Order: sequence, then C-alpha cells, then structure tokens
Amino acid sequence: MVKAKISDKIYYVYRVMAILLFVVIFLPAANPAKISGMINRSISLLTSGFSYGSLVDNFGRAFRKGWVLESTMRLDNIASLLVCIGIFACAVGACLSIGNNKCKRLGNIFSTVGSVVSIISLQGIYLAYTQISLTEKPSKIEPTFPPFYFGMLIMLIIMAVVSVYELIVTFKEPKEQKFHMETKYRLFLMMMPFILLTFVFSYLPLFGWRYAFFDYKSGDVLSMENFVGFKWFTQLLKNAATRSDMIRVMKNTLGMSFLGIFTSWMPMVFAIFLSEIKNSRFRRFVQTFTTIPNFISWVLVFAIAFSIFSTDGFISSLMMNLGIWDQGKNFLMSGNHIWLKMLLWGLWKGLGWSAIIYIAGISGIDQQLYEAATVDGAGRFQRMWHVTVPGLMPTFYVLLLMSIAGILSNGMDQYLVFENSTNTTDIMVLDLYVYKMGIVNGAIPFSTAVGMLKSVVSVVLLFTANNVSKLVRGETIV
Amino acid sequence: MAKTAQEKADEKAEKLYYKTHKKPGKKTVGDIVFEVINYLVFAIFTLICIFPFYYLFINTISDNELVRKGLINFFPRGIQFGNYVRLLAVNDLFSAISVTVLRTVIGTALMVAASAFVGYLVTQKEMWGRSIWYRFIVVTMYFNAGIIPWYLNMSMLGLTNNFAAYIIPGIVAPYNIILVKTYIESSIPAELEESAELDGASKMKIFLSIIWPLSKPILATIAVFGAVGQWNSFQDSLILMQSAPKLYTLQHRLYIYLNTTSNLSALMSSGNTSGISQSVLDSALNGKVIKYTISMVTIIPILCVYPFMQRYFEKGIMMGAVKG
Repeated sequence: MVKAKISDKIYYVYRVMAILLFVVIFLPAANPAKISGMINRSISLLTSGFSYGSLVDNFGRAFRKGWVLESTMRLDNIASLLVCIGIFACAVGACLSIGNNKCKRLGNIFSTVGSVVSIISLQGIYLAYTQISLTEKPSKIEPTFPPFYFGMLIMLIIMAVVSVYELIVTFKEPKEQKFHMETKYRLFLMMMPFILLTFVFSYLPLFGWRYAFFDYKSGDVLSMENFVGFKWFTQLLKNAATRSDMIRVMKNTLGMSFLGIFTSWMPMVFAIFLSEIKNSRFRRFVQTFTTIPNFISWVLVFAIAFSIFSTDGFISSLMMNLGIWDQGKNFLMSGNHIWLKMLLWGLWKGLGWSAIIYIAGISGIDQQLYEAATVDGAGRFQRMWHVTVPGLMPTFYVLLLMSIAGILSNGMDQYLVFENSTNTTDIMVLDLYVYKMGIVNGAIPFSTAVGMLKSVVSVVLLFTANNVSKLVRGETIV
Repeated sequence: MAKTAQEKADEKAEKLYYKTHKKPGKKTVGDIVFEVINYLVFAIFTLICIFPFYYLFINTISDNELVRKGLINFFPRGIQFGNYVRLLAVNDLFSAISVTVLRTVIGTALMVAASAFVGYLVTQKEMWGRSIWYRFIVVTMYFNAGIIPWYLNMSMLGLTNNFAAYIIPGIVAPYNIILVKTYIESSIPAELEESAELDGASKMKIFLSIIWPLSKPILATIAVFGAVGQWNSFQDSLILMQSAPKLYTLQHRLYIYLNTTSNLSALMSSGNTSGISQSVLDSALNGKVIKYTISMVTIIPILCVYPFMQRYFEKGIMMGAVKG
C-alpha cells in the first residue's frame, strides 16, 4: 500500500518533468543545441531539430571556407531531432500515466526509452560542440557551450530515473487486461492538443510583452544589461517627436472610429427601407449584390479603387472622352478628405452586409404591431419610427457597444493599402503605426509598448461596454 | 418543379408584406413618390456595388489598344481572352495562386475538422476541467497581444518563411467552436448520443457517426467563412514571409503588382517569356491591363462561389447574432 502511495506521488514529479521538458523544446532561450554564436538566437530546440535550414541559416560562408564541417551541423541537427523525439515519447508516457495500470506501464516504457534516447542524443550535441570548438576561426564562429546543456541533461536524467522507478514498481498486468482510462481523462486528452495550440498561438505571444521593457534589436538577447524599465512608455509622453506622432495617430484613429460610429445607423436604415420594397425579386437582387463587396479583401478593394479613380481609370477616361478634362486625375494620390474617403470605402464594402442582421430583425418583429399601428392611423414613416426602429434597437445597441469597445482597433489592411506619400499623415491609424514602427522600421520594443497599451485599453473598454450593457439592458454582450 | 428554399422564403415574405401593408384606400401620390425614390436609391447603390467589377472585367477582355487609350467605359469592344492566357508569363503568379489555393483547401479543412471536434468535446460534461478549458479557448477572442509580439512569437516557433504558418495558427478558431457547440446543444437531441453510448459506442465513434453528419449545416457555414478568410488573407503573408517570395499569397502579390509603377517588363521573368518577344508582350499587356487582369483572377473565385454560398453567409451572420 505504502509503495503504491509513493508511486502515485512520484507520478506527479513524472508528469511535471514531462511538461517542463515539453515546454523547454519550444523556448529559444533554453536551446541546448546552440553550439555557436552564429546560430540564430531565436530558434528553439524543436526548430533546430526539424529545420536544418534555419539552423545553418548564417553558415553559408563558414561552410565554403571550411571553418565548419557540414557534418558537424548535421550531427547537431540530428541529435536535436532525436532529443525532441525522445521528449515527445516522454510526453506520451505522461499522458498514458493517467490511465489504468496497463496504460501506465506502457507509458513508463515510452518514457524510459524516450529519456534514454534523449540523454544519448544529447551527447551527440556535445560531440558537435567539441568538433566546432576545434575550428580555425573561433572569432568568427564563436563556439559556445550551450548554456542550457546541463539543465537539459539534469531534467532528462530525473525523467529517466523516475521512469525506471515507476517501470519497476508497476506490476505487470495479465495479458487479458485491457487498456483503460476513465472517460473524463480520455476526453481531456482528446482536447489537449487544441488547448496546447491555443496556448502557443494566443497566450504565448503575451510573453512577448516583455520586449517592451528592454532595449532590444532583432537578434539580441534580453538581459539585465539592456533592461530599460518604462523607458519606452515614458518616451511616448516625454519625447516631443514621438508625442506629436502619437497625437496625430490617436487623432486619426479616434476620428475615423467616431465617423464609423456616427454612421452606424445606416445599415439599419438600409434594412428598413429595403423592406419597404414590395418586389421580392428586386429586393433579393439588391441584397445579393450589395453584400458581395464584403467578401473581397481590402487589397481587392484597392484594386477596384485603382481601376476607377487612378489617372487612367474609369472617371478620368470618361471625363476625357467627354472632353471635360484635358488630362486624367489620380484621386488616390491626393491627401484631401482622406477620413471621409475611408469611411465611404468602408460603407461601400460593409453596408449591405451589416444590413442583413437588421433585415432578419425586421422579419422577427410581431406583425400584429404593424396592423395595430395601421388601424390607429399610422402612416408609413410613423410605422417605421414607432414600430420597426424600437424593434431593432436591442441589436443596434449591442453593435454600437461593440464598436465603441473596438474604437482603437480600426484594423490595418484598409489603411495600409490606401496609404501613400500624399496621405500618410492623415491615414496613419494606431494599428498601421505599430506595424510601420515595429516591422518596417524595426523599433520592436517601442511598438510593442504601444501595442501593449492598445491591447490593455481595448480590454478595459470591452469590459466597460459589457458592464454598461449589463446595467442598462440586463444582458451581457460578451 | 420543386421550389428552392429561397423562393419559398421570398413567397412567404411577400405574403407577409401584403398582409401587413394592406391599405384601406388606393395609393396616394406620396406613396408613389416614396416608392420611386426608394427604388431609385437602391438601384443606384446596387449599381455602385456592381459596376466596378463589371468595369474591371470588360477592360480585361477588350482590345488592349482601346483599353490603353481609355476608350472602354461601359461596353467591351474587340473581345479577346488573350490577357488571361498571357498572365501565365507573369513572374511568380503561378506560385502565388498555388500557395493560396493550397492554404485555402488545407487550412479550411483542418479548421472545420478541429472546430467540429472541439465543439463536440466541450459539450461533454464528464470531461476533466471542461468549463476551464472551454473558457481558456473562448476568452482568446477578446484579447490579443498585438502584432509585434505575435510576429516575435511566430518567428520563435520557426513559423516565418514557412508554409505551415498559414495553416497551424488557424486550426483553433474559438468563434467557430462556439457556433458548433451551440448548434450541437440546440439541434442534436441528447438522446441520440445517450442511446449510442448505451450501445457501447466510444466518444470518437459517436463524433464520427452522429455528430459530424448531423452538424453538416453549421460546418458548411463555417467552412465557407473560413475559405473566404483564407483566400483573402494578406497580413500573414506580408509580415511572416518577408524572405520567402515563393510563399507570397495571391493577395500579397496583387498588392505588390498594384504598387509597381513601372511597365510590364518589371513584372515578367526573363525566363518565362521565351517564345514571345518582349515587345509583343509590352504592347499587348500594358501595366494597367495586367493589374486589372490579376485583380480579376483574384476576384473571380469569390464571385463564382458567392451565389451558391450566399445562404450560408446569411445563416452565418444570423447565428453570430445568437450568442454562444
């Protein structure tokens, strides 16, 4: 009995170790395969194992000059791959350890083999390191002993010891016994890959917010030396140039968002008037063709804008054919009324689509209300105003609150495609600014700081909108 | 002849209309004026929505010399389809099309399968920590770390300049998971599952033989939305594929072509044009026409698929209105 209890406790160590190992292979900072300063700092053990190309990204010259043998890097690559595979086996073992004894035993075999394979392969990395440190040009190649090598080794040895212990302790079940796992755990295991994907692609990026507190250039490592605290945040307010940039960007962002909010009644009006059309075929026709623009990308919207409004586009050639203009005008290369133009493109793309929800809303309004209104002598517009509009208000409120919550997120595509040298001052919204600063200009920490502030404000706005909705209408929106 | 669902719905709407708009007297002058204006306004707006597509199209199939002079405004003249054939010679367009088609097919298929499976799993009350995991996934709709941390994360995972970057991040789609979950809970009777379970079917078996076939309507809807999203996506190509032009999507290519001011020769690879002399190509395809033709190639799949998919689109927005 006591033995079984200890064994159960040890399983926790076993699972924790497996999870840790599994996480480590994704972390570039803890990459035990980084045997040279020339290996990209941002690649993890997993990448070094599965992508030889990214491992030897910067080695072209070194190979040609014979400073590093290609076989050394191959060895590093294959050893990393085997370590990864071994760790996967340990992870599978940990998953099996929540089943019955038979599952556990199989899992233990997996993790024993896996951890032993990993430990042996880790020696391969060491061998690659000894080979690379014999290079003629240590200054160029910078052979470094992978900082996390021993950490990895210790973790793997613990894993191996624990696995072997459990393997010995778990008694062998008779052959007839079936593999079995409780349904609740089985369902959880089925779900786990998707939980991991969500973690990796939605939560892990949050970890990147730390860049906002460092003085970081592409390829650097984060350390206490380049820790700058809130420098980038205070720069937003203190540095005159940045401040004026921010004021301009915020003006554009809020300006265009508010224009959008002020026109958010238009889809509703569109729907109300469309439902006044008796001819169902015409109604159908309008509905079909006004929703199409919603399904093309902003790049295509720009292509269309180009074909209509550029120097040799529709408007110009028509005016020239009619003899009104002498030469074509390029409306896209003008900085005038850019907010209005963006609003109009937004409406062109989205009006018909946004109206659908209201059209459905109208068909859900109790028809007796209309009959009663008619009997009371209400005219067409009175019916619209006193029956249809109140019926659509709940939908309108929800959408309005959502658009207020999204006030800082205009999206980037629309403004990116329409941006050019003549309109760049008026079109630069927050999302586009962050992209330009971070990706195009490489100011990663600064743009991370701006993006971080944006994300936080957006979440706060969303919850405020949600609470307002809860207070006013007794219903939440998220 | 059997009536389609749409026709039936229209008929119903019409009947409703006559029922509710019954009037004691004849149409007044005001009514007529209103109707004329109403029809006119909608006709004009619809025209504004369609005309650009039509204009693009007639310019790609008309005589290129007339197009160059700007003489094709309303009707095509000198119809030819050579532009579409000559497009084959445009540098990198073929790879862009194949990348886009591949990501649309693979990405959508995986997303739909995953949404269906996860949507089913989160309805299973026995699951260990079900509500926690469900919230863990759903809450990601309401925050995001921002574009730069996202980029750094993707490059840390080795997903820059890598086709997998188009597929893997999109597999888990929280909104679609909510839609499937809601659909399963509201439209598939729980007794079906229970009786299958009594017969000894495993969870996987239940999913494959009951849930999957019965939730086809919702799966079709999310597939359509997913495919359009994949086809249109542009940001990931722009940001993640900076040093892998072979992996640019069609939208990204189009963006580049639209921003190329130089003439055609800049867009043509020297190797691919063998057989056709450069001058012939230059006169046949001026910059404007080639931009229009590539735009058309990018739009056509959406336009072709749209009429068949419209009901799914509309269903989609309606289901979005019903909160999950």
